[in-house]
Amino acid sequence: MDRDDLSTSEQKKGYSRREMLKMTALAGGGIALGASGLGTALELFGNTGAADAAKTATVPFFGSHQAGITTAHQSYGYLAAFDIDPSIHDVAKIMALFISWTRLSATLTQGKREANSSNKELPPNDTNEARDLGAANLTITFGLGHSFFIKGGKDRFGLANQMPKQLTAMPKIAHETLDPAISNGDICVQVCADIQQVAFHALRNLIKEALGTANIRWMESGFLNGPKGKTPRNLFGFKDGTANVTDPESQNEVVWTGSDEPKWMRGGSYLGYRKIKMIIETWDRDSYSDQEQVFGRKKDSGAAFGRKHEHEPVIMSKQPADSHVRLAHGTGKKIFRRAYSYTNGIQAATGNLDAGLLFIAYQNKPQDSFIPMLRVLGKSDALNEYTDHVATGLFAVPAGIKKNDYFAQHLFE
Amino acid sequence: MKHQKKIVFLLVMALLLLPVITACGSAQKSGSEKTAQSTSDPVKQGTTKMKQLNSKLQDALKKNDVAAIKKYGKQINTQWLSYENGVRDRFPLQYAKIERYQQPIYAQSNLADPDVAQMKENSDALTGQLSDLLTAKETKSKPSKQMNQAVDDYLSYADEQIDMLVKTTKPFVKAVKDGDVEKAKELYTLPRIYYERAEPIAESFGDLDPAIDARINDVDDVSKWTGFHEIERALWEKNSLKGQGKYADKLMADVLSLQKEAQSFKLTPKAMVAGAMELLEEAATSKITGEEERYSHTDLVDLQANVDGSKAVYQAAIPALNNGHKDLANAIDKQFQAFDKQMLKYKKSDTNYEDYTKLSKEQIREISNELSKLSKLMAQTAKIF
Repeated sequence: MDRDDLSTSEQKKGYSRREMLKMTALAGGGIALGASGLGTALELFGNTGAADAAKTATVPFFGSHQAGITTAHQSYGYLAAFDIDPSIHDVAKIMALFISWTRLSATLTQGKREANSSNKELPPNDTNEARDLGAANLTITFGLGHSFFIKGGKDRFGLANQMPKQLTAMPKIAHETLDPAISNGDICVQVCADIQQVAFHALRNLIKEALGTANIRWMESGFLNGPKGKTPRNLFGFKDGTANVTDPESQNEVVWTGSDEPKWMRGGSYLGYRKIKMIIETWDRDSYSDQEQVFGRKKDSGAAFGRKHEHEPVIMSKQPADSHVRLAHGTGKKIFRRAYSYTNGIQAATGNLDAGLLFIAYQNKPQDSFIPMLRVLGKSDALNEYTDHVATGLFAVPAGIKKNDYFAQHLFE
Repeated sequence: MKHQKKIVFLLVMALLLLPVITACGSAQKSGSEKTAQSTSDPVKQGTTKMKQLNSKLQDALKKNDVAAIKKYGKQINTQWLSYENGVRDRFPLQYAKIERYQQPIYAQSNLADPDVAQMKENSDALTGQLSDLLTAKETKSKPSKQMNQAVDDYLSYADEQIDMLVKTTKPFVKAVKDGDVEKAKELYTLPRIYYERAEPIAESFGDLDPAIDARINDVDDVSKWTGFHEIERALWEKNSLKGQGKYADKLMADVLSLQKEAQSFKLTPKAMVAGAMELLEEAATSKITGEEERYSHTDLVDLQANVDGSKAVYQAAIPALNNGHKDLANAIDKQFQAFDKQMLKYKKSDTNYEDYTKLSKEQIREISNELSKLSKLMAQTAKIF
C-alpha cells in the first residue's frame, strides 16, 4: 500500500496532513519514517512454498464492505474492545491511530509484516510469532461503540451529530448477569484466522500500536470448526447458524446498512455481541430428548421438529412453546450470526467448566432485530436454564475501507 | 555490565551521528558561546520570573506559612512548564538539574502537610541552579561527549541515591536491633526509596541485589533469605523483631558493600538506557501487582521510586535526545508529568502513599496504564544510538 496516498483530504478540522503523519509516527512508536512521509518498510513472510493452502490464503482488506463479516467463517476468532485513553481529547490523535491501524491491518492480512529498525537497541516493531505462517485468511474488522461518541452525557469529540442511527448503549435485557469490565467499549476489533497464532499475533500488534491512544479493555478468544461447507456445532452439540442468510441479496437486506445512515456508515453493519456462558455440566446431564425440546431441532441432523433435513423451513405448530427455535423464529427478525465457542479453564468455586459461546451477530437494524430478539429470548427461552449472558456490546461497523483510505475516515473528514 | 564494549560503541556512535553534525553546519563550533543574555530571551525572562517566585517561596518557608508555601510551590511549577521546553532544547544539562529540585518542591506543595525542611533545601538549591542557568552557555558539545556526560550525570545521581541508602539504612537497622517494631516500621520505607531508584546499579553486582532485595518467592531456601523483605515480613506479619539482629547486621554490611562497589562502577550509555527500562519493567511487574511489599503494602512508594530512577536516565539523555528526537523528549516529558500527577492522588508524603490493598482494581489498572504509556515511550529513547 502506498502510504503517501492516505488521508488525501488535507486541512480539515485544522489538522494538516503533515501534522497527522507526524502524529502517526509518534503513535506508531518507531515505525520507520521515509523521506516522503510514512514509507513503512514491509517484509514478506517467508512462506512461498507449496505449503498447505491455509498458510497462503488471503482475504482482501480493502473493499466496499469490511472483511470478516460475510467472509467464510475462519476457525479462530478474537473479539476485543478498546477505550480511548483519558488523556486524548484531540480527534486528530484518534485519526492518527486509525491510520496506523489501517496500515498495520492492510499489511498483516496480506501475510506481510512490518520490518524492524536497523537500530537493534530499539524494541522490534513486529512480535515475530506469526513469521512463516502466512495470512491464514486473516481478517480484521473494526467497529465503534456508543461510548465512542457520547460518554457521561458528553459529546466527546464533536462527532455526536455523526452517530449511527441504530447505535445505542445496550438496554437491559432479562436474564443477564453482566460484568461491565468485559462488556461494551469505545472501539471493537474482531480478528479471525484459520490459524489461532496468526489471529493472536495480529491483535497483539494492534494492541501494542494503540497503547496510549486506545487501551485494551477486554479480549475474548474462541474457536469454531464445522465439516467443510456444513453448519458448525456449538458446545451444546447443536448446529449453530442454520438460519443464516448466505446469498448476497438477502445479505443486503439483513446485514448491510443503507441510505438512512450517515454517509460514512452506509455499506456497514452493526456487531451485536453477547458472551453466553453455558452451564455445561447441567446440560450434559439433561436427557437427549429434553435437549432437543429445548432447541426445537434434532440434535444430529439439525432438522426442525417435524422435518427431516436441516435447511427445511421451521413448522411453528410442531415447536414446543418455549423452544429456542420457536422464539427466535417467532420474532420474524433476521440476523447474520458469526459466533465462536470459548473455553476458559474451570470455575474455581465449583470446579465446573467455564465455557460457552461468544455470540456475534451482524445486522443493519439492531434495534429492530438483534435487540428485540434478545428481549424475547431473555424472557422465556427454554435454553435460559442452561445459559447466562455475562457480557454484552453493540458496535457500529463502518463501511469497507477503500484502498488509500483509512478506517472511519469519512466520519472525520 | 558490558563496560568492555564502551569504547568501541562510542566510536561507532560518533560515526553514526557524524552526518547529523555536519548537517548542522556552522552551529557546530564546539562550545559556541551563546548565553541567554538578551533581555528578550524567553529563557532569561522565564528564569527571572522563576527566581522571583522562588524567593517568595523562601519567605513563606521562613514564616512557615503553609498556604503561601503551597501557592508559590505550585506557581513555580506553572512558570517552569511555561518555558521549560526552551531550556531543554538549549540548556539540557542545566534543565535536568533544575527539574531535580523544582519537581520535589511541586510534589510537596500538593500535599496536605508539606515537608518544610526538605522544601527549604530544594528551594535553596534551586536558587543556585537558576543563577547558573542565567549565565550558562548553550550546550553544543559533540554527541560522543554528550553521551559520556549523560553517563557521568546519571552515575552521580545513582551515587547520591546509594549514599542516601546507606545513610537511611543505618537508623532502620538500629531500630531493628533495638527490637523497636514501631520505629522500625516507620523507618523502613525511606531506604527502600533510595534502593529502588538505583536498583539497576545494585543488580550489576552479582549477589548483592538478591541479598538486599529478594522477595520470599525469589529464594529456594527460605532459611537463607536475607534483606529488606525478610525484615519486612517480621515487622508486618509477625509483628516481632525476635532474632532479626543478624539480618539487620547483614543488611547493613551488604548496603555498605554496594556503596563501595558503586564507587568504581563503570556504565555504558546503552546499559544506562537499558537500566531505565529495567526500572519501569520492575514497576510494571512486581510493584503494580503488590508483590514487592506484600507485608507492608508500601508498593506505591517503590513504584514511584522506580519511575524516579528511570526519569534520571531520561534527564541525563536529554542532550542526546535533542539531536533529532525533540518530539520524543517532549512526549516523554509530558508522560512523566502525567504519571507523577496521577500518583499525587495517592501520596501523603514521600514515604507514605496509599496502602496497596486499599486501591480498587480500576485504580490499579489506571496506574498500570500510565506506566505502560511511559514505558512504551521510554523504549524509544534507544533512538539516540
